[in-house]
Amino acid sequence: MRKALSLEFYKLRRKYVLPMALLFLTVELVWALIAVSMSFERNRDSAGWEVIVAMLSTMNGLFLPLLSAIVVSRICDMEHKGNTWRLLRSMAVQPGKLYAAKYACAGLIMLGVCLCQLLAIAVFGVQSGYLTSVPLVLLARFLFGTLVTTLVVLALQQWISTVVKNQAFALCLGMLGGFLGMVGDLFPEAARRVFVWAYYTGLSPVTQQYASEKMQFVVREAGPISSAAAVLLAVAALLFLMGRRHASRLEG
Amino acid sequence: MIKQCFQAEWLKMRRSHIWVVFMLLPLVSVIIGWANYVMNQGTLQKEWYSLWSQVGLFYGEFFFPILIAIGCSYQCRLEHQNKNWHLVLTAPVSLAALFAAKLGVVATLLLLVQAFFCLQYVCGGLLAGLSASLPAELPGWLLRGWIAAMTIAVFQLALSMRIKSFATPVGIGLCAVFFGLGMYVLKLGLFFPHSLLTVGMGVLSQEGLDFGSNVVFLLMNALFGVGISTVSLRRLRKSDVLA
Repeated sequence: MRKALSLEFYKLRRKYVLPMALLFLTVELVWALIAVSMSFERNRDSAGWEVIVAMLSTMNGLFLPLLSAIVVSRICDMEHKGNTWRLLRSMAVQPGKLYAAKYACAGLIMLGVCLCQLLAIAVFGVQSGYLTSVPLVLLARFLFGTLVTTLVVLALQQWISTVVKNQAFALCLGMLGGFLGMVGDLFPEAARRVFVWAYYTGLSPVTQQYASEKMQFVVREAGPISSAAAVLLAVAALLFLMGRRHASRLEG
Repeated sequence: MIKQCFQAEWLKMRRSHIWVVFMLLPLVSVIIGWANYVMNQGTLQKEWYSLWSQVGLFYGEFFFPILIAIGCSYQCRLEHQNKNWHLVLTAPVSLAALFAAKLGVVATLLLLVQAFFCLQYVCGGLLAGLSASLPAELPGWLLRGWIAAMTIAVFQLALSMRIKSFATPVGIGLCAVFFGLGMYVLKLGLFFPHSLLTVGMGVLSQEGLDFGSNVVFLLMNALFGVGISTVSLRRLRKSDVLA
């Protein structure tokens, strides 16, 4: 498995996937952090780490589904383009192992993106002058929620990208996911539970509430989020297994 | 020659089912925008204009530019496979005709998408019980939207011809959307292709453009269109294709 995973990274060495992901992340961070800076300047009393986490959770809902779609599409499309699925199978590479290696590769890239984002948040918070010590627990919870949601999205995207050669459909799903992730909070509770992309804000440790016509940022209890995350991890595993089974049965 | 190239490009789209994507994304943006309008009719009281502000925001600001990017990537996908660029570039047709044919196919698809979007907007308004007549600015929004969409298509086509990956130009397109939004906020909307779409379609401000602004809008589109396609064609002529 380790060899298959390292080979996936080897295949990506000149595909510029990481620079592309970092460009995407930069655009997101610039957009979100400018908005946070303006918010801090307008209302100095409300300046806090919670504002940054809440803002980034919303922006992640838009950006990360599309970034996941792009990363997975690149990892799977190179096999479609080179017609190498059959070649790999004839070299006694188990289809299931190959599928898992690609999933792990995409997951590690997205983990890198999330860690870079976390680092940027911490640096911005300290540099802004409004905030002091970095709240490690809050940021760890934010990272956890983002990663769990991304794992589900990756499993879904990989299934589509592997099974459907035309990557327009996978990217269309990514775009729809990004849109649902952004506006997910406007939907009723029941609809929010169904859309996996809405969990970028759903699993965020900070939520926004309106009280006496003022927006407040409230830190959530860890309990309900953990149970939702456990369910989501099970969904990710299910999607992964279904996708792997489907892909393994396809003609190369 | 262009006609034959166009027919050949159109033929390549057969059985691609790309129309599903071109129908689905506008439909979703209209449904969400329409639902938002219906739920907030108390606050959104400008009837057709308010409905446009809701459906147009999602469509013009996010879905349409991405749709253009996907369409252009798809146009070049076949050429990037099986060393087809070599085959295409050795055909007895000019590079400009090839580029124009690809752009023509995307432009035709985008025209159909605009017409479909307009139909959904009118149906949505009637379904919401709007009784006033349609906004006089509607044809202008749609036409300017299509013109700006072609400028974005030139930009995306240039990227997709250069980059072998299907997804990367789409990602760059999304980054450009946000850059364009920033340019619009800074009141520099006429100086970037993606913000030209925001200005032209009246996505964030439903006030129509005056004569002078219309002229500047058309000039900027022509400038970007000609400039980007010239650079792209020059590159295609001068450098080897890595098919």
